[in-house]
Amino acid sequence: MDESRHLALRGSVVEDELALTTFELCRACNASEEYIEMWVSEGVLQPSGGSREQWRFTGQALTRMRTAMRLSRDLDLNAPGVALALDLLDEIEALEARLRRRSG
Amino acid sequence: MQYKDYYETLGVPKTATHDEIKQAYRKLARKYHPDVSKLADAETRFKEINEANEVLKDPEKRAAYDQVGSGFKAGQEFQPPPNWDAGFEFRGGGGEAPGGFGSFGGEGVDASDFFESLFGARARGGAARPRRNAAMQGEDHHAKVLVDLDDAYHGAERSISLRVPKEGPDGRVVLEERRLDVHIPKGIRPGQHLRLAGQGAPGSGGAPAGDLYLEIEFKPHPAYRVDGADVYVDLPLAPWEAALGATVDAQTPDGTVQLSVPKGSAAGRKLRLKGRGLPARGKGTPGDLYAVLAIALPAADTDKARDAYASMASTFAGFDPRRARGG
Repeated sequence: MDESRHLALRGSVVEDELALTTFELCRACNASEEYIEMWVSEGVLQPSGGSREQWRFTGQALTRMRTAMRLSRDLDLNAPGVALALDLLDEIEALEARLRRRSG
Repeated sequence: MQYKDYYETLGVPKTATHDEIKQAYRKLARKYHPDVSKLADAETRFKEINEANEVLKDPEKRAAYDQVGSGFKAGQEFQPPPNWDAGFEFRGGGGEAPGGFGSFGGEGVDASDFFESLFGARARGGAARPRRNAAMQGEDHHAKVLVDLDDAYHGAERSISLRVPKEGPDGRVVLEERRLDVHIPKGIRPGQHLRLAGQGAPGSGGAPAGDLYLEIEFKPHPAYRVDGADVYVDLPLAPWEAALGATVDAQTPDGTVQLSVPKGSAAGRKLRLKGRGLPARGKGTPGDLYAVLAIALPAADTDKARDAYASMASTFAGFDPRRARGG
């Protein structure tokens, strides 16, 4: 047990220490560059950086992208449908956070 | 192994048309999709629905299922007859396996034993992949990890267990358990990701392995609620403490602190302890801790206690709590 403790893996916190490039996001989601571009143009992903080559994505974008891919696959939604679902899910999340702040 | 009634799962009769099956599936999928549903058993239900749909939407699989399964009821002990599937050709050497959700790594590795026994190795999406000879970096993998609030306050080393799909010599994909010791960094927040370089799928042809992304979730805590970097805790007060003000001990994940409650505090008021939420990471700022005030009433279970309440009632004869609340 003690020995394995020394070998504990140290990762990077994506949200704090990394900004994912388009290439990294493609790899992380197992998706093509065109597919990522489609979600950017749909407004689902909002990378920083001006040009396509300079795009940088947050860890939140990673979560959002993976949710978007599951929703479009499992519910057979088109991109605007997924975008709408994600916006509504965000709203629910915000409302629930407000409830949590009140009392549990 | 138990027989699964896929018609029952989708709530359609055995005579349902292709369109009726699609309709029933869509409706249930929207209801139980784990990204959308808040139901506790959503993930399990969704897997079942997906598996049923995978079989019933495909005319060949449905025909095979109907043939082998006629006469069985859901939950009944079931073994497929030997060579039961002779004469059935599943398209493309095996279709997609049911869309696995939350499974580690690839998709479609979470089918039931029942599905496996019928549509087995050939139905495994993963196994149908062509062999790669060219050097190719391994895929990135994803997993969720539940950590304690305490780990995020202080940092910790945790042993986590992952189920990893592995292709056996016969081309069949099996789930293998893999244990990893991972450092949980101090100040990590729910929903954040840890990227472990080179801990994803191995590469081929000498190419490097993929990365492993761990999504951090917090175990629910009986006392504390987390919102981003901020932490909320209920602080019960006696009526006189709330009315007259008091200095009380409040529990925080960092230990007990003394908190001064201003006089005339109402229930629901939040007292902020700056910087006592989740610790800062790097140059960031720490979260805050909020004590949400609640009023606890002592029981009126002795004569003396009842007298005390009665004397309050006469002292505050003009007090109408309904009107005071503006309701």
